[in-house]
Parts: sequence; C-alpha cells; structure tokens
Amino acid sequence: MAVPETRALTENEQLAGINADYTERYGFHDAENYLYKAPKGLNREIVEKISEFKSEPQWMRAFRLKALDHFLSRPQPTWGSPMMAEVDYDDIHYFVRASERAERSWDDVPEDVKKTFDRLGIPEAERKFLSGVGAQYESEVVYHQVHKDLEAQGVIFTDMDTALREHEDLVREYFATIIPANDNKLAALNSAVWSGGSFVYVPPGVTVEMPLQAYFRINTESMGQFERTLIIADEGSHVHYVEGCTAPTYSKSSLHSAVVELIAKPGARIRYTTVQNWSTNVFNLVTKRAVAHEDATVEWVDCNLGSKLTMKFPSVYLMGERAHGEILSIAFAGKGQHQDAGGKIIHAAPNTTSNIFAKSISKDGGRGSYRGLLEVAKGAHGSKSKVVCDALLLDDHSRSDTYPTIRIGDDDVNVGHEATVSRVGEDQLFYLMSHGIPEEEASKLIVNGFIEPITKELPMEYAVEMNRLIELQMEGSIG
Amino acid sequence: MVDTAQAEPGFLAARRERAARLSATLELPQFKGNAGWEFTDISGLDLDAFSPAPDAEAAGTADPAPMFRPEGAAELRQVDAGAATLTGELPAGVIVTSLEQAARDHAELVERHLGTVITGEDVFVARNEAAFRGGVFVYVPRGVALEQPILLTAIQSAGGNELNRRTLIVIDEGAQAEVWEQYLSASPDGEGLFNTVVELVVSQNARLRFVCGQDLSEKSWIFGTQRAEIARDGRLDWVALGFGSARGRVRMDTRLGGEGADARVTGAYAGHARQHIDFDTTQEHAAPNTTSDLAFRGVLQGRSSAVWRGNIIVDPGAQKTDAFQESRNLLLSKRAHADAIPGLEIQADDVRCTHAAAIAQVDPEQLFYLRSHGLGEEAAKRLVIEGFLAALVERFEEGPVRELLGRALERRLNLVLGVE
Repeated sequence: MAVPETRALTENEQLAGINADYTERYGFHDAENYLYKAPKGLNREIVEKISEFKSEPQWMRAFRLKALDHFLSRPQPTWGSPMMAEVDYDDIHYFVRASERAERSWDDVPEDVKKTFDRLGIPEAERKFLSGVGAQYESEVVYHQVHKDLEAQGVIFTDMDTALREHEDLVREYFATIIPANDNKLAALNSAVWSGGSFVYVPPGVTVEMPLQAYFRINTESMGQFERTLIIADEGSHVHYVEGCTAPTYSKSSLHSAVVELIAKPGARIRYTTVQNWSTNVFNLVTKRAVAHEDATVEWVDCNLGSKLTMKFPSVYLMGERAHGEILSIAFAGKGQHQDAGGKIIHAAPNTTSNIFAKSISKDGGRGSYRGLLEVAKGAHGSKSKVVCDALLLDDHSRSDTYPTIRIGDDDVNVGHEATVSRVGEDQLFYLMSHGIPEEEASKLIVNGFIEPITKELPMEYAVEMNRLIELQMEGSIG
Repeated sequence: MVDTAQAEPGFLAARRERAARLSATLELPQFKGNAGWEFTDISGLDLDAFSPAPDAEAAGTADPAPMFRPEGAAELRQVDAGAATLTGELPAGVIVTSLEQAARDHAELVERHLGTVITGEDVFVARNEAAFRGGVFVYVPRGVALEQPILLTAIQSAGGNELNRRTLIVIDEGAQAEVWEQYLSASPDGEGLFNTVVELVVSQNARLRFVCGQDLSEKSWIFGTQRAEIARDGRLDWVALGFGSARGRVRMDTRLGGEGADARVTGAYAGHARQHIDFDTTQEHAAPNTTSDLAFRGVLQGRSSAVWRGNIIVDPGAQKTDAFQESRNLLLSKRAHADAIPGLEIQADDVRCTHAAAIAQVDPEQLFYLRSHGLGEEAAKRLVIEGFLAALVERFEEGPVRELLGRALERRLNLVLGVE
C-alpha cells in the first residue's frame, strides 16, 4: 500500500482534515461484557487485587505496594500545563478485564473486541506490514502474535503479564532499572497499577525486518490504562516497535499513564514509533526513557495528535561511546488540546551524537509546547548535537511555546539549537537573509534523511495523519 | 550633605513602608523547583550577614578603574549610600540627580513613574525599595535630543555591605538620550551584596540607549531586576556587560507596549575562576508591529559557569511581531559549564519569532587554519575568542559606542585569559 498522495492539497487543507472525522473513525464504543471492572478510585486493596488477578510473584507485589506509597506521598506536578490540576485520581477505574487471556488467533478474541480492532484495521495491517502484533483492550492484552521465524530466532514479543509468567528472570533483571518506581508521580502510579504493555527481547545479531506493533484501545468511560513496556535489544540487534492508540469520546476524563523502558546494548538499534491519537477527554501522562550503550542507536518517533493533555518527553541516555540518539517529536494541538511534548538527550559518554527535531502545529485555540533538554555531562567530550524546533500557529487564538534547555559541562562539544515560530506562508528566504542563520540547507537534509523512510515503513491506516505531518514542509519555518 | 537628612515626601515614605513589610514576609527563592532560580543556587546567601552600606564616603576610598568613560559625559557618581555628585553641565530641563533628591524636587514626575515599570512582588525589589539611599533619576523632557552622554557610577567601597541601587530613567515623548551606568567595587576582595533595580521609561517616539556594566568584586553577590517599558514608536538599545561578581542573577525584561516599538538587547559576559553568571531576559510583545532583537555572548574560562534564560512572549493580538533571540557560549576550559534556556510563548499567529542557542569550544579547524598561517597556539586562540565577541560588538555601527564596548571587552578578556 502506497503512502496516500497528498501533494494536491495545500498545507492548510491537509491540516484542516486532521481528526475531523475522529468520532466516526475512532470515537465509537462497544458494549461492556467484562469479566471484571474495578470500582473507581485507588487504594491498597485495588493494587493487591490486580496482583492477585495476575498471580504474580511476591517481588512484583511488593514493588507495586512500595510504588503506591511513592505515588501517594508525591504532590501532583504543577509545572507544565495548568490542566494538570484537573486530573482526578479518584474518578478513574484502575483495572478492567475484558478477556481471559492474550489469544494467538483473532477468532478467539471476544466478538465485540475483535470487531473494534477490525474497524481499526489492525488484523489487516498485521497480515501486510508487521512482524508481530499485540492488541490491548482496557487493562490487558487480548491478542498477541509474532511471526514464527522470529520466534525460531529467539525473539520474544509478548505482553508484559505473560512475560512476567514465562520469562520472569529476564523481566526481573531489567524491569524498572531505567525508570525507577519513584522517578516521578506518574511513573509511581504506573508502577503500582501497571497492566499489559509489551515485552520485547531481541537476541544478539538478530534483525527484526518488519515492525512489531502494539495497539492500545480504551473502551469504557473514566478508564485508567497503565501499560508497561520493556524492550531489550541485545548486542548488534535491530528492532522497530510501533504503537498506536485511540479511545471513544466521552464527556468524562480518562487517564493513560504508561512507562516505557528501552535498553539498546552495544551496537544495537531500536526505533520506537508512537502514533498517539487518544480522544480529547484523555489525560496522557507518560514516562519514556532509553539507554543506548556503546555504538548503539535509539530513535524515538513521537507523534501526538490526540488527547486532552499530553505530557511526554521521551529521553535517551547515551551511556556508551559513539552511541547515537534521535528524537522526532510531532505535535498537533487542536481545540481544547494541550500537547506538552518534546524530548531529552543526555550525553554521558564521549563522542556521542544526537539530533532532536520537533514540529508542532496549533490551531482552533490549541496549545503546542515543545519542552526539551539537551545535556552534555562532564567527560562526554567530542559530543555533537543538533536541535531544530519548528512551530506553526494557524490562527490568532492558539498558542505555541518552545522551552529547550541546553546544559553543557564539557568544553569539547558542539551543540546548536534553532527554533522558529511562524505563520504558514511566510517567506523562508527573507528570514534567512535577515538573520544569516547558517547550515539551513544542511539541517533540512538531515531532517528529511531521517524522516522520509519512516513514512514508507508505516503505511497503516492509523498512521496516515502522522505521515502527513512528517512530510509537511512547515513552510515559513526552518527544517 | 546626605540626602536622607531631609524628610521624604509622603508617596516615597509610603512606598518604602509597604516594601519593608513585604520584604519581611517574602522568602528568598529556593534553588530547586522555583521557576527562574533552578540554575543558580543562592542557599549560601545570608542576608543578615551584611550591614547597610555606609552613608558617608570613607576617606581614602580607592577609585576603582571604570569600565567605560564616554567622552564629554556628565557623570553622577555615588559611593555606597553617600551623597551623589554630578560633574558636567546639562541642558535646561534635563534632570540627572539622586532619586531621593528628585522625589523632593520633582515629586509629581517621580511619583508618576516610580514603580510603574516593575510591579510584581519580589523579595529583592521589596528590599531595594525599602532600603535604597540616593539612587538615580534621569529625565529628558519632551522633544529634547540630548547629545551628551550621561554616565552613572555606583561604587561599593568594601565587603560586608549591602548596597541597594535604584535607578529610574524617563525619556519623554520624542526625546533622545544615551545613558551609561556602571557598578564597581573599590575593594577587589570584598564580599558585598549589590542589589539593583532599574526602571526604564521610553515614551512615544523616544529613543534611549542604555549601557549597564557590572564589574563588582569577584566575591560579591549581584542581584538585578531591570525592566523597560517602551511606548508607541519608541526605541530602546540596551546593552549589558557582566564582568564581576561571584554569583547572583540579573533579570532584564523589555515590554514593547505600543505599536511600532523596537528593542535591541545585547549582552556580553566573560567569566573565569569560579564565577557564576546568570542572566534572565524577557522580550514581551504586547502590541502589534513591534520588533525585538536580542543577542548574548559569553566566554567561560576556568571553573566558571553561566546561565542564560530568555523568553519571547507574544501577547494575544500582537500581530506582525518580529522577535529574535540568540545565546552563544564559548567554553575555554574543560571545567566551565553553560546552560541556555531559550523560550518562546506565542499567542498571535501572524508573527516571526526565532531563537538560537549554541554552546561550543574554540573550533579546532579555525585554530588549525590560523596556526598554519604562522600564529602560535595562544595567539590563534585569542584571535578566535576576539572574533567571537567582535560579532557582538559589530551590532553597533562604527563610532564611539562600538569602541567603548570593544575596549571594555578587551580589558576583561585580558584578565580572564591571564594576559598582562
């Protein structure tokens, strides 16, 4: 399937169409024939019940309870978006079970649930472009499948609950080592009530040719979804993981708070792509962090189209020499939305390199905030980094913010940042001439060289909008 | 004669009383979790350890080297909280005097402007307002184009003292002026506390160039709250030089409040040893068709560190805003550290706002090139650093201002690089 032809449309026309048909495409909901639905609110009993449902080992139960204490003792963050004050932790269902187990055949998935994923085009995408698929509905994964030849090579791709049962040693070795339970209030919450998510292990030297995909669906009102994902790419391996998500539109708020940990061992390469398209009643407060060891590469492609408020800053810790980090952050803020997104790169080893590219579009009163950190620790000499942020405002009642922090503690580094906020249609050349910014063309080439392959790799229906935004020329701003 | 021997007019006394009450209730900002203070730890600051600056100049106070001395300038000089002395003649109607004197002699004028540019509740501003002695009031009346520069010099004589410096500059409609202000220490080793509050009023069609340099002892604390309000078609050319002090934070805010207002803000610093320099700038576009252009450059040697935080704010309705900001740091040592936190907050769609930040070392390729043309390592490095700062000075057209700034930077660079 080819990438849809969009050249005939102007940028404005393309942008006007984004999520215009959300209600029909994604905003529907199914009848609830659930095996279990926790009452609203969070307490020790709920946490213990989740652990009991999953027949977890004692160490995980203890981990959850300790995390709950962290969550309860930490204040709600006040930085970032004023909308953070609206999150009501008492008005959320923390666990909902829709199905017995993660099935390996779509025929075994409950009918209503299967119908939903059919409508979203997941089984079709699986047949055509993917190496493996996980589908999470409410709190748990209802379907999971991975190509047999990958399994034969030792690749593990399963839901996190199954991983804890079948690969306990591996999970225990890496779980919460990148994002500890008390990292922040939302990570503590996830650590207490996590359910579902993906576990990926790619053995040394194995390349997973086609992406692995997970699709997350919320169905019920006032739902809290807390998936937990852990990806370990062993030495010299290569994997691309893609996630998408949608939810029905309700008047009451839902909460999605994931924790995602990536470990790229020496020479490994992980690309993690997110197409976040929650309905505009979902608070999306996510912690994502990766470590890249010697000669490893980690790439976050983070596209935020939906949700009421997103606060998410995927980060890469470059821990080994010559490690490389790449972040492409794309945000689209429409009516009532605040996308507070960005990325962080920490150069903690010599000769490490990184790029951050951010594109943000605000319209109809929406607010897009790029928030980023670029840090070069002492001793990370020979490091190079480039940050380019572009923002478009499509009308006079929307808002765009850019907050890129740069911290440099070593003299042998080269770090640059450029950002532009502009109106569609401004003459780019005029800008360049008046301010004499060099490397303009170079940075454009770098951006295009990085992002063009992404759109070809992800022809899924739900990724169409992301692909459009990636290809958007952002006329009037750099990059 | 000491200004304060006379009774203060009621409006000033009332302001001071309110400020004293406020300063007693406000806490010093915490290093962690306090917006704007995250990068400058002031937990080592003990306000009670400082005595008020003496109100008479001690005999034999050394005269510190000035940062600049513009030719033909009329100078208002104040040591500690002593009496301000004016040298030089000024055209009729132009007022350059201590703020306390002006509050008595030009009460209506001072009352109309004092505290109108800086309005928020801030511990350092409250402390300043409650305690300042003398201070500066500059007023250039409507339509007067003052050709002669004005030089304002504040000298802190010794360590252990807290000096609250208050400056109010009002350029009336269609008037023009060039004002240079410098903060100096007479004792190079004194650990002083210097707390400055500057309000700049640039009226309709007025023009102000304001150069504010700080060369305090490198053991001193510096806190600065400086803000300009620019009315319709007004123009401000603001320069900051941050050379001295050990630690502190200086805010420089510009509000473009009237259509057609324009601001150019230029900052330079050169740190060494364990100096920590913190500049926090805001360019607020509150009216349509306003322009601002801000550039900061810093050179860091030894274990020195610098923070620059800059925000461009475009208020709703401020269409056709054109705003630019850039911060560039050159790290000369492995142990130097720089943070740049540029920010854009935009609420109008027909604007052009751009920022850039870069932190780098002396480019080895440039060094190699220069060395291949026969220059020694040190000379080549010096040339690269000079070139880096020259790009900033070249924002000013050839003439006395560019020369004065260039010379001030050159002297500072000699010290930082250990030449002479």
